[in-house]
Amino acid sequence: MLAGKWSHAEAMIRDIGRFARFNWRVTSTSFLACSHRSTYPLVWTQMNIIGVRSVPVIMVTGAFVGMTLAIQAYDQLATMGFEERLGVLINISVVKELGPVLAAVMLAGRIGGALTAELGTMNVTEQIDAIRSMGTDPVRYLVVPRVLACLLLTPLLIIYADLMGVVGGAMVSLLHFGINGRAYWDYSANSVELWDVAIGVIKGFFFGAAIAIVSCYKGFTCREGSQGVGQACTEAFVASFTLILAIDLAIAFVAKAVYLTFWPMRGLV
Amino acid sequence: MTEKQEIDRAAAAKKPVIELKGICKTFDRRVVLDDVSLAIEEGKTTVIIGPSGCGKTVLIKHLICLLRPTAGEIYFRDQRIDHLSERALGAIRTHYGFLFQAGALFDSQTVFQNIVFPIRQHRRETDMSELEQIVKAKLAMVGLDGFQNYYPANLSGGQRKRVALARAIAMDPEIILYDEPTTGLDPIRSGIINELVLKLQRELSVTSVVVTHDMNSAYKIADRIIMLHNGMIVADGDADTIRNHPHPTVQQFIHGEVSDEDLAVLRMSGKGAQSQFSPQDFDPRSP
Ligand SMILES: Nc1ncnc2c1ncn2[C@@H]1O[C@H](COP(=O)(O)OP(=O)(O)OP(=O)(O)O)[C@@H](O)[C@H]1O
Ligand SMILES: [Mg+2]
Repeated sequence: MLAGKWSHAEAMIRDIGRFARFNWRVTSTSFLACSHRSTYPLVWTQMNIIGVRSVPVIMVTGAFVGMTLAIQAYDQLATMGFEERLGVLINISVVKELGPVLAAVMLAGRIGGALTAELGTMNVTEQIDAIRSMGTDPVRYLVVPRVLACLLLTPLLIIYADLMGVVGGAMVSLLHFGINGRAYWDYSANSVELWDVAIGVIKGFFFGAAIAIVSCYKGFTCREGSQGVGQACTEAFVASFTLILAIDLAIAFVAKAVYLTFWPMRGLV
Repeated sequence: MTEKQEIDRAAAAKKPVIELKGICKTFDRRVVLDDVSLAIEEGKTTVIIGPSGCGKTVLIKHLICLLRPTAGEIYFRDQRIDHLSERALGAIRTHYGFLFQAGALFDSQTVFQNIVFPIRQHRRETDMSELEQIVKAKLAMVGLDGFQNYYPANLSGGQRKRVALARAIAMDPEIILYDEPTTGLDPIRSGIINELVLKLQRELSVTSVVVTHDMNSAYKIADRIIMLHNGMIVADGDADTIRNHPHPTVQQFIHGEVSDEDLAVLRMSGKGAQSQFSPQDFDPRSP
């Protein structure tokens, strides 16, 4: 019984160690690959697959988040007579938190699963071994372009999600609840800072890297058979989702500390 | 070629290109290779035979370090390679061509893209017409010119194998490792592949290692035959040595004899066994 638990724990620790090594390999190879001209077409292709085709679904996600927030928050603010400040609440939530996180979760589902399935199938059909046998590093050829594409495009996709969140929130607030447009935008503009938007977008780099690296790792280490690939996809989604939330928390801590260091007064108001 | 180069070449010919020293390989405590030592000579064709599941594929993958040994050392031209990083191995692997038993073609790329893959990876200046020429030549060698724009999914098993072979020889490697090149091909195609192996050896003095079950092709192409059994080398020598080998396992294998024990098992599972097992015993859903 105890032995079983112990070997389980041992396997987990070993898995974490392998993941750390994989991370290191991907990072060092990425820096090396940036100086290679042959990397850029690969990154470009992946950007098309990963980024461009995700735009619609990301925009829809953002719009729904904004609209729902408006409907949920209106009543509380209206009872206090603060309904003109609805924009502050919606826009800060969307730009700082909900836009980035939900966009990243959407991407984890859309891209993460596909990456794991693709690399996992290549792994079980020996295609990754074939790449190695021809003297090419599969990490450089397969993983680095995907990670770079994800890392560079997730922030951009988050901007789309933010934009649609703001538009969606405003549409419901102004058209459905009939709030004064001038006041709505004035309050929003005064309280949403560039800092809030920047933090949301910066999160995107980390989320994108996390999604791509976890998904590629799961694909590279998946077990044989179609069941192995399926299981790897599930694990990849769960792991990237958890990691997104953990990174979000960590960045919230750091960002707050940085903010209070540079603008101590405004933080207290 | 100068005289000195000639002498160097002669000296090199005696030295092994690849050498395995005391290789052991275990998967989850299951021993697959047990203290195998083997030196592959330059410019010779070495054939590895042995029953299914005896570890031939595992052995040939060690020659190019696709699998790392549990114990033992691998040398490539006197350089130890089994502890090198993947990045360092990349440069060494460009000397090799490797034909996978299952082909391992990139299934999302066309035949053309599959074959130019190694060339694009390792050569800088190549224009399209030159690549087309190379691909055409390699495909013609395996009798598949005209299939450039097919996807692997639309080819037959034997055609896939031949495309994989064309990819393995695309870079004109010095060493080619073939894992069962003729399995799944008709007798005429097998004959052509045998000729191809011989031709590459004769004209380009390629070093070949061929894993096969097919004794006819083994006798035809081999300078040296090695028989693997239970993870150990049981016989090693040229075709005649193997034909007259005293070891009963070797004789049984090369003549394709079925042992009495195997026959007894088969008979057991036939008529006599019906009273013991009913079809309900086999649950199709159980793994
Ligand atoms: N990745 C692996 N993990 C676990 N066991 C493995 C692995 N690869 C091979 N084996 C085991 O090693 C043994 C030898 O396998 P190998 O593929 O070398 O056989 P083979 O001689 O090539 O057989 P065949 O002629 O049928 O291709 C098999 O029993 C197999 O179960
Ligand atoms: Mg095999």
